[in-house]
Amino acid sequence: MSNVTPISFVGAASAFPTRIVENDFFGTPGAKQSAMFRGAKRRHHVEPGQTAVDLITQACASLEARLGRSVTDGLDIILTNVSIPDMPFTGCGAEVARELGVHPQWVFDLHNYGCISFIPMAALAQSLMTTTGARRALVCNVQTAGGRIFSDPKIRQLPQAAIPGDGCGVALLEAGDSRPIEHIVVRNFPAYASDMQIASGEDASWWEPRGDQFSINFSRAKVARVVGRGNRMVPEVVQATCDQAGIGPSGIHTLITNQPNPVFLRNWRDALQVPTERHIDTFAEHGNLFGAAMPVCLARAEEEGRLRPETNVVLGGFSHAGDYAAAAVIRWTEAA
Amino acid sequence: MNLEDHVRTRSAMPVGTAPELNQIPGLRRIEQFSRDDMAALCMDETRAVYPHDTVYGRFCTIEEYIDCPPDQVFEYLADPYSLHEWTWSSRNFQPTETPGLLVGSDELADNTRLFCKTVTNAAARTVDYHCAWDQGAELWMIYLMRVIDARLVFGKPGSVITWSNCHHPNYDDNPHPQSAPADRDIWVGDLWPMFYAGHVVEMQNLKKILEYRHTHSLPVRPWVG
Repeated sequence: MSNVTPISFVGAASAFPTRIVENDFFGTPGAKQSAMFRGAKRRHHVEPGQTAVDLITQACASLEARLGRSVTDGLDIILTNVSIPDMPFTGCGAEVARELGVHPQWVFDLHNYGCISFIPMAALAQSLMTTTGARRALVCNVQTAGGRIFSDPKIRQLPQAAIPGDGCGVALLEAGDSRPIEHIVVRNFPAYASDMQIASGEDASWWEPRGDQFSINFSRAKVARVVGRGNRMVPEVVQATCDQAGIGPSGIHTLITNQPNPVFLRNWRDALQVPTERHIDTFAEHGNLFGAAMPVCLARAEEEGRLRPETNVVLGGFSHAGDYAAAAVIRWTEAA
Repeated sequence: MNLEDHVRTRSAMPVGTAPELNQIPGLRRIEQFSRDDMAALCMDETRAVYPHDTVYGRFCTIEEYIDCPPDQVFEYLADPYSLHEWTWSSRNFQPTETPGLLVGSDELADNTRLFCKTVTNAAARTVDYHCAWDQGAELWMIYLMRVIDARLVFGKPGSVITWSNCHHPNYDDNPHPQSAPADRDIWVGDLWPMFYAGHVVEMQNLKKILEYRHTHSLPVRPWVG
């Protein structure tokens, strides 16, 4: 591992669509809100015409303001992950580069890894730094499924429609060991690869013309299985990372996970023996931000001054129905 | 009408509609507690981890699969002298004047007599050891074991054993202190928090002994000859 270029976390910032959606937007009028998908007070939805690129550029402006430095100087790598992309085929990384006025050496628009995408994206950035001499990477995670799918008049009647919330987190990473991201563990569970499916009332593939919007299938049987997997695999992968890093339970000073629902968050804290106040939780305001949750939580923790020098920020989570799990440690310092 | 007749004829009777069912507080039945309510409750109650005391505080139940036919496992357990082999510390059993009641020693502590009566049901393959330290008049420390045919529950030959103990108040307070050796500084109930770990050790002993004898075609019994 000594030949790997160390990678450090410089900073993160977030941006959200202006449209805030309250709980009464969902469900069937007159019916009680499903307890199964409770916990969010509100969430944001992207509106028609609003793009992931818009949110990324807003978040970058916010990051520059907070860091007091350019995020575009010497930017070699742009990585994006957008849940429902602005455009199929092209991705949006090149548009981000255009909006920021940069010509990065590498642009990758990744569409897998879902809720844990921030961690493998950091690993990819590190690989590119190691193998190509790149120095700075902008990692952009955007969740757009709320406004693009779950605001549909029929879909929003489904109980699970209240869970997703839209938003964007960006993070600037750079070569060096000033605030290193270490012990990255990413696991793939191929057996669960097909367990998250597009659902619609029509017998059509998602790209085929149809009368109604599609959604994501959450049958009770699948929810039960995913609950079991999430309860097991996230503590396991975080534990594996902490073991590598020589961190005991009391050494998880800040825990940052994906934000699927309050039950998972509680269970992960319990399993890892992390008190509530050390686990960053944005679910009530933002719902499930999918892949954006980790950088948004990092930004939240920084903004609230919750990260202290010489502490360990431990990241962990799982994606989709359990096809991937990942964890990493950031050795926090005053300034990267 | 006896129970058997009732079960045979119940399809013609309105079962599940007794009026008090609507008055018993806290029942959760599909008539009032929807699928959605149930799913939410189950999600909330399904944890990644559980405190030891939540799981093993009032009851201590452990289970194991053993590659040995269920009738042989039952017969082995039904012979209380098998305790000499698979338990960690129950030894020296011999009959008392009371038929079926044995007295031996629990080597866990010095000078500690262990009384044991074995109650079995061959049809159900249950073996219950009714035990007590120090005296045989009140056998309150009860080990409830059941042997299940693994072909039924796992679809493979062998046995599943369940083993339960309940946290009797006597574990917390010795009801017969006058029977205890004067210099003994430990009470069996002091160890309740470690019952899970201790019983797992003994269950593993049981599994290893039975599987060894079964796979080597040796008699599955605790005596020689």
